[in-house]
Amino acid sequence: MFHFLQFAATRAALAVVTLIMVSFIVFSLMELVPGDCAERYLAFKNTQGNQISIADIEAERVRLGLDKPYVIRWGKWIVEAFQGEFGDSCILRVNIAQLLGEKFWISLVICLTSLLVAYLIAIPVGIISATSKSPITNNALRLISYLGLAMPNFLLALMIMLFSTVVFGDSLTGLFSKEFRDAAWSYDRVVDFLSRAWLPVFILGWSATAFAIQTVRALMSDEVGKLYVLAAAARGVTGRRLLWRYPARHSLGPIINSLGFDLNRIFNELPIVALILTLTEAGALLIEALARSNDQQLAGAIIFLLTASIVGINFVTDIILALTDPRVRRSILG
Amino acid sequence: MTDSATIEATDAKVDQSRKEAYFTAGQGQLIWARFKRQRAAMIGAAVLILLILSGLFAPFLTPYDPTIQGRNVDYQNGTPNIPKFWDENGFSFRPFIYTFERARSIETNFRWVTKVNRDKRRYVVFFPEGDKYTLFGMTFKTHLFGVDEGKIHLFGTDGTGKDIFSRTFHSINTSLAVGTIGVLLAFVLALIIGGVSGYYGGWVDSILQMVTDAVRTIPAIPLFMAIAAFIPPEISSEGRFFIISIILGFIGWPTLARRVRTHLLTERNQEYVLAAQLCGASSSHIIGRHLLPSFTSYIIVDLIISFPYMVLSETALSFIGLGLKEPVNSLGVMLQNVTKADVLLNYQWNFIPVIFFITLVLAFVFVGDGLRDAADPYADTKK
Repeated sequence: MFHFLQFAATRAALAVVTLIMVSFIVFSLMELVPGDCAERYLAFKNTQGNQISIADIEAERVRLGLDKPYVIRWGKWIVEAFQGEFGDSCILRVNIAQLLGEKFWISLVICLTSLLVAYLIAIPVGIISATSKSPITNNALRLISYLGLAMPNFLLALMIMLFSTVVFGDSLTGLFSKEFRDAAWSYDRVVDFLSRAWLPVFILGWSATAFAIQTVRALMSDEVGKLYVLAAAARGVTGRRLLWRYPARHSLGPIINSLGFDLNRIFNELPIVALILTLTEAGALLIEALARSNDQQLAGAIIFLLTASIVGINFVTDIILALTDPRVRRSILG
Repeated sequence: MTDSATIEATDAKVDQSRKEAYFTAGQGQLIWARFKRQRAAMIGAAVLILLILSGLFAPFLTPYDPTIQGRNVDYQNGTPNIPKFWDENGFSFRPFIYTFERARSIETNFRWVTKVNRDKRRYVVFFPEGDKYTLFGMTFKTHLFGVDEGKIHLFGTDGTGKDIFSRTFHSINTSLAVGTIGVLLAFVLALIIGGVSGYYGGWVDSILQMVTDAVRTIPAIPLFMAIAAFIPPEISSEGRFFIISIILGFIGWPTLARRVRTHLLTERNQEYVLAAQLCGASSSHIIGRHLLPSFTSYIIVDLIISFPYMVLSETALSFIGLGLKEPVNSLGVMLQNVTKADVLLNYQWNFIPVIFFITLVLAFVFVGDGLRDAADPYADTKK
C-alpha cells in the first residue's frame, strides 16, 4: 500500500511539474502578444469618446499589477490558476472563471464523450481487422481509417453542413435551440442539448476513431502472433474467449496509456469544429480571444485549462494502469 | 536427363544469384523492392507524383492568374464550365463552352443576371498566350489551355470572380511548400534535441524529455493559434507565409525528436557500436558512419508521415483566418467563406478543391504507410 501511495505521489508531483512548465510556456506566449491588458482596456475606452493619456495607461498598469517583474507575475498567475482563478478578461472585463465555467465543462464533456465513442467503436473493429483473414474486410477497414486521417474534422463538418443544408435545409449548427440558449439547466434543456450535441461528438470522434482503430489494430496484430496466445489455443481456448482473455488484455495497457494524447488530438480540433458549427463553448471562446480580440488573459486561461485536463487524464490513466496491469502493480506494490 | 539437370542447375544458379542480390543489396534497394510489392502504396506514390508535378507546373497548367488580377469581373460566383463536344446545334471536334452574358433589364428587376447563350460557342484552344507567370526564374505567357474568346472556368469562380481551377492548383503548390519548410525545420530541431538527448542519455536526457513532454501536452492547434495571433497584421503575405511555416516546424518537432532519441538510444547499445568503439573509432566517426546510416530510412519515413499533418494544420489555421491570407492561395484561404449559408445553398462548387486535398493527404498517408512497412527489416519475417 505504501508503495502505491509513493507511486501515486510521484506521479502527482510529476503532473504538477508538467503543469508548471506548461503554465510557463503559456504565460510567456501571452506576454509576447503585442500590447498589454492596460493598453487594450484604455483603447476600448478611447473608442467610447474618453481622452486617454500615457499617464492613464501607466496608472492602469499599476492597478493591474503589470508593472511588476515578469517572474513575480507568472508566480502570481500560476498560484491563482491552481485555485481556479484566472483574473479578468482583457476585453470583456468579466471574471474569466465565471465566463468559462459552464462552457468549459460542456467542452470537456463533449470531448470525453467523443473519446469514449471512438474507443467503443475502435476496440471491436480494431480486433476484427487485426484477426480477420478476409482481404475485403481488411482493405475496407483500412480505407475507412485512412479517410479518417486524411479528412480533417473541419472538412467533415463542412461536408455534413453542406449535405444537411442541401437535404434538410437546416445546417444543424449550435449547441442549444434558441429558447434554451441562456436558460438554466432543466430536463428539457438537457434533451435539447443531447439532440444537438451528437453532431460535434460525431465529428470530433471521427478522426479519433480512425486513430484508435489503427492503434488497436497494430497492438493486436503484434500480440496475436505471440507464443502465449498459441499456448492458450493449444489448451483449447478458442474464438472470442481466446481473443478477449489473452491478446486483448495485453493490448489494453498501451491504449490506456495513450488516452491523454488522444484527448490532446480531440482538443486540437475543438476550436475549429466549434467555429464551423457555431457552438458556444470554450473552443469558440478561444478562437474569439485569439483571432478577433487578442484577449491574452482569456486565451491563456483556456489553453492552460485544456492542457491541465490532459495532464489530469494522464495522471488518472497512470493510476488505472498501475491498478489493472499486474506487471506494473507488482513492480509498485512489491 | 541431361536437359533436366541443366535446368536444375540454372534454376539453382538463378536462385543463388537472387539470394546474392538480396544479401548484397543496399538498404535503399531493399526498401524499394519491398515498397514495389504494395499496390496501395504504389498507387499512392503515382498519385502523389502527379499532384506534386501539377502543383509545380500550376501556372502553366491553369489558364489564369489565381490572384485578384486574374479575376473575371463578368463571371462572379459562376458555375463550372464543362467543355462539350456536342449539343443541339451540332457536333464539333474541338470542345467548346457557351458564352455567358451578364445583363440587367426591367425583367430582372435591374439586378445583374448571368445568362447562358447557347448559340455563341467558345472553343477550347491549346497553348494560348495569357497572364504572365514565372517558372524556374523565367517568364512565360503560354498556358496549357484556354478559350478563343472570354474565359473558361472548369471549376467555376468564387465570389470575387477568381478562377477556382487555377486557385486549386496553385494552392497545392503552397501546401507543399509550407509542408516542406515546416517538416525541414521540425527535422533540424528534432535532430538536434533528440540527438543530444539520445546520445548523451542520463540527466540531459531526463531534462530534455520533460521539456519535450510538456510541449507535447499542450494541444498543438490552440498553441498554434496563440502564436499565429502575434503575427503583426501589416506584414507582407510572403513574410506571413514564412512565419507560418516556421511556426509549424516549431510545433512539429517533439514527436520527431522522440523518434530520433529512441532510435539513438537503442542503436547506441548495439554490438556493432561497441565493436567500432573497441576498434578505437572516434565518437564523430561512430555517429557519422554507423549510427546515422542505421536510421536515416526511418527518419525519412517519419518525415513523410508527418508531412500531411503539417499541411492539414496550415489548412485549419488559414481556415479560421489566423494562417495564410490573400493573395496567397491555399485550401484554408479558399475555404474561408464557404461556411456562409449563401455559399452552402447556392455555390457548392467552392468545395471542389477539397477533393484534391483529400487526395493529396490520402496519397501521402498511403505512401508514408507503405514506406514504413518497407523500411521495417522484419516485415518479411513477421508473416
